[in-house]
Amino acid sequence: MHSVWAVAKNTLAQAIRMKVAVIIIILLVILLPLMSVIMVGDGTLLGKLQTFVSYGLSLTGLLLCLLTITVSTFTLTNDIRQMQLHLVVTKPIKRFEILCGKLLGVVILDILLLSVFASVIYCLTLLIPRLSKAGADELAGAGREFFTARVSLSADVDEDKIDMLAKQAYEKLERSRQLPESMTKEQILSELRGRERTQAQAVEPGAQRVWEFENVRLADPNEMLFVRYKYEVSVDPPDYRVYGTWLIGDYRQIQYGLGDWESPVARIERSELIRQFHEFEVSAEVVASDGYLALIFANNPYLNMTTIIPQEVQVLLKTGSFTGNYIRAVLLILARLIFLATLGISVSTWLSFPVAVLICAVAFFVGTINGFVLESLGVLDQTPNIIYNLTLRPILWLMPRLDGRFNPTHYMISAEVLSWRFLGQVYLMMVFVKSVFLLIFGIWIFSNREIAKVVV
Amino acid sequence: MAAKDEHYAIETFSLTKIFPDWWGRAKVIAVDGLDLKIRYNEIYGLLGPNGSGKTTTLKVLLSLLRPTKGRAVVLGGETRDTKISAQIGYLPEESYLYKYLSARETLDFYGRIFGLAAKVRKSRIDTLLEMVGLAGMANRPVGTFSKGMTRRIGLAQALINDPELLILDEPTSGMDPVSTRQMKDLFLQLARRGKTILLCSHLLADVEDVCDRIGILYGGRMRVEGDVKSLLQHSDEKQIHTGPISNDVLGQIERLVRAEQAKYEVSSPMDKLEDFFIRTVTEAQEQKLPTSGAVSTGEIGGFLAEGEQTSNILDRLVSAPVARESESQPGSAETAEPEPAVAEADQDTDLLEQLTKSSTIPDRRDITTATEPVETVVDDQEDVNRDVLEKLTGGTERQDTSIDKSGPDQPGEDKDA
Repeated sequence: MHSVWAVAKNTLAQAIRMKVAVIIIILLVILLPLMSVIMVGDGTLLGKLQTFVSYGLSLTGLLLCLLTITVSTFTLTNDIRQMQLHLVVTKPIKRFEILCGKLLGVVILDILLLSVFASVIYCLTLLIPRLSKAGADELAGAGREFFTARVSLSADVDEDKIDMLAKQAYEKLERSRQLPESMTKEQILSELRGRERTQAQAVEPGAQRVWEFENVRLADPNEMLFVRYKYEVSVDPPDYRVYGTWLIGDYRQIQYGLGDWESPVARIERSELIRQFHEFEVSAEVVASDGYLALIFANNPYLNMTTIIPQEVQVLLKTGSFTGNYIRAVLLILARLIFLATLGISVSTWLSFPVAVLICAVAFFVGTINGFVLESLGVLDQTPNIIYNLTLRPILWLMPRLDGRFNPTHYMISAEVLSWRFLGQVYLMMVFVKSVFLLIFGIWIFSNREIAKVVV
Repeated sequence: MAAKDEHYAIETFSLTKIFPDWWGRAKVIAVDGLDLKIRYNEIYGLLGPNGSGKTTTLKVLLSLLRPTKGRAVVLGGETRDTKISAQIGYLPEESYLYKYLSARETLDFYGRIFGLAAKVRKSRIDTLLEMVGLAGMANRPVGTFSKGMTRRIGLAQALINDPELLILDEPTSGMDPVSTRQMKDLFLQLARRGKTILLCSHLLADVEDVCDRIGILYGGRMRVEGDVKSLLQHSDEKQIHTGPISNDVLGQIERLVRAEQAKYEVSSPMDKLEDFFIRTVTEAQEQKLPTSGAVSTGEIGGFLAEGEQTSNILDRLVSAPVARESESQPGSAETAEPEPAVAEADQDTDLLEQLTKSSTIPDRRDITTATEPVETVVDDQEDVNRDVLEKLTGGTERQDTSIDKSGPDQPGEDKDA
C-alpha cells in the first residue's frame, strides 16, 4: 500500500503542475461567481436558481471530466515517454500497484476539485435568494419547488397493449399488401409501436385522458404535491399555447358516482406554452385514504383546436432536503469522473497520449448521448445480428451513461430526489463493474508490456 | 538469504534480445547469446562501443525488456520479483527522474516505494543529500539541476535502499573530475563493504580504476572478459620507479639493461591533469570560495557505512571483514577466474584500504590525499593500459588480437572471437 500511496502522491503533484489543471481551476474560480450574477433564467428567482445550479454543475462536471481525461491519459504515457517509469519499475513495486497509484492520484484530485467547486456552487445557490429582491411568494415558491427533494411517480404505459395494437396494425398492412418494401419487419413494428404509443397518449379536442397512481404516501398530509408535465401537439397553435384543464383527486368517486366524496378533487385550468415543462401544486388532501390518486386531463374543444399529447406526466412528493439531494448529485458526477479516470489510465497502458485522449473524449461524448444511441439501436437488440452483438453492443454497454436519469442537473432543476438506491446502482455498474473491468484489462496489458520496448 | 546461497550475483544463460520492426520481423540483434557471470562482492565493468548491447543487457537484467531467448538470474531470482528488486539500486544512463520533484521529494518518493519507515527515510535522505553534495539544494526541483547534479541525485536514489547490487549505467558521465574521483572512491568503498556493482561506462579510465573484472561487448556478444590486471599487464616489460638519482647511476642502469638487449627509456614522471585539477579545486574549496554548484563531503552515507545503524543483510556484510566472501567460499575456486599473484592481491587490498580511508576523514584535503594512490598505481601502466583498451574496442582486427592475448585466461572466449 505504501507504494500505491507514493505513486498516488506523485501523480497528484504531477497533475496540479499541469497547465490544463491550472487553466480549468482558474476558469471555474472566475466563471462560477460570474454566472451566479449574470444568469437570470426566466426572470424569476426559481428560474435563476434552476439556471445557475444547472449550468454551474454542468460546467463543473464538463471541465472536470476534460481534466480527468487529460490527466489520466497523460500521467502514464508521459512517464513512459520521459522514461521515468523505467526507473520506477526497477523498484520493488508491482505493475498493478503503479496503475492503482496513478488512478488513486487522479481520483483524489477529482475529489478535491469537485468538493471545492461543488461547495462554491452550493454556497452561491444559498446566497442568491438572500441577495435577490424577490418577494415572499417567490421565496416561498423557490423553497417549495427548488430547495427541496421530491420523489417522482410516473404512470406506466401499458406496453403489452401497445405491442398488441402494433401487431394488429402490421397484420392489417400485410393483408392489404401495404408493407413498405424498404423496411424490415422489426423496423415496421418499431414504427407502429411508436405511433400507437403516441396515439394512446394523445387527447383530441373534447376528449380526456386519465393517469392513475397507487400507493401515493406523504409523510405529512398538510404537504403539497406537485404535478409536472409538458405538452406536445399535433398542430402548433399560433401563439404556441394550449389550454389545459386538470382534475386531480380520487377518480373513482367521479367515475362511479359514490355519493359524498371522501376526498376533494382539485381543478386546475391553465394556458401554457407547448414543449416546455410546467408544474402546479395541489394540496395532499386530494389523495384518497388508500393512496390512490388520479390525474385527468381534458382537452377543452372551445379553447383548443389541436390534439394535445401530454408527456412525461409525473406526480412529485416532498421526500428529502435540497442539501442531501445536492450531495448525491455531486456524487453522481464523481462516479463519471472515476469511470473516465479508469478509462484513461487503462487505455494509456497501450496507447500513446493523443490516441488515448481521443478514445476517452469519444467515450465521454458518446456517454452524453448514449441513451439516444441505445434507443436508436434498440431494433438491433432484438435481432440475432452477430456482428452487432460482438462489436457495437459490448462497446455501447461499456460506454458510460451520462444523459437522462444519469445527469445530475436533471434532478436539481426539477428538485426531484436522487435516491441513494439509484446512486448505489450507478456506482455498482459504472464504478464497480465497468471501471474494475477496465482496470483489470489495463493491468493485464501493463503487466505484460515491455516498458523499454523499441520498435525499429 | 536465498540469494547469497547462489554463487553469482548476476548470471545470464545464452541471453538474446532481438528488436523487431513494426511487422514483428527480427531487425536488430542487440544481445546475442550472452553468458554473463558476475560474482558477489565484485565490481564488474561492462564495456563496448555505442550499440554494442550494454544498456540492453542492463534493461533485460532489470526486467525492462524481456529476453527473446535465454534467461537472466539476478540475486538468485528475477528482478520482477519485488524481493529481488528491493535489493537492487539502479542508476540509469539518462536522468529518469521527475523534474518537478525537488531532490528531497525525489528521494522521499523512492524511499516510500521501498517501504522505508518515515524516520529511516528522513535520516537516509539527509545522509545521502549530504553525501552527494546536494544538501544545499535539497528543495530545488531536479529539472533545474545540471547534468552532473542530476547524476548525483540519481546515485542517491540508487542508494536509498542500501542495495545489495548496484547497476550503474554511465555513472560518471557529465560529472566534474573531483566528483568523478569521489564517486569512484565510493564504488570501491561500497564493494569493500560487500556490495556487488555492475558498471557500464564509456570512460575507460573510470572502469580501469575501479573494476575487478571487465567484459567487452561488441555486436551484442562478449568479445573479451577477464580480470583487469591480467588483461592489461605486459608481463614482458618492466618499469622501475626511483627517487632523484644521478646521471651516473642512470648510465649504469642503462648499461645493465643494454646488456640484456632490452628496450631502455628514461623520463621524469608527470602529474595527471586530473590530479592537478583536483588539487586546484580542493584548494578553492578549502578557502570557502562561493559556488552555486554541488559540494560533496566525499563521505560515504552513514547508513551505508555503519553496520550497527541498520540490521539488514547488507549491513551485516558491510560490517563483515573486508576480504571478499566469494573468494574465500569453499568450492568457489571451481568456477572462479584465475587468481592474480599473491603479492598483487595484497597490493590491491592495501590500495583499497588507502582509497577508502576518505570515508572516515572529514577533511577534504585528506580525502584527496587518500585517493592519490589510485593515480600512483594507475600512472605506472596508464599509457599501456589505455592502448590495450582502445585496441580492444577499436575494430574487429584489433579485437581479435586482444582476444588472442586473453586466450589463456578466458578459454570460453575463443568461441566468440
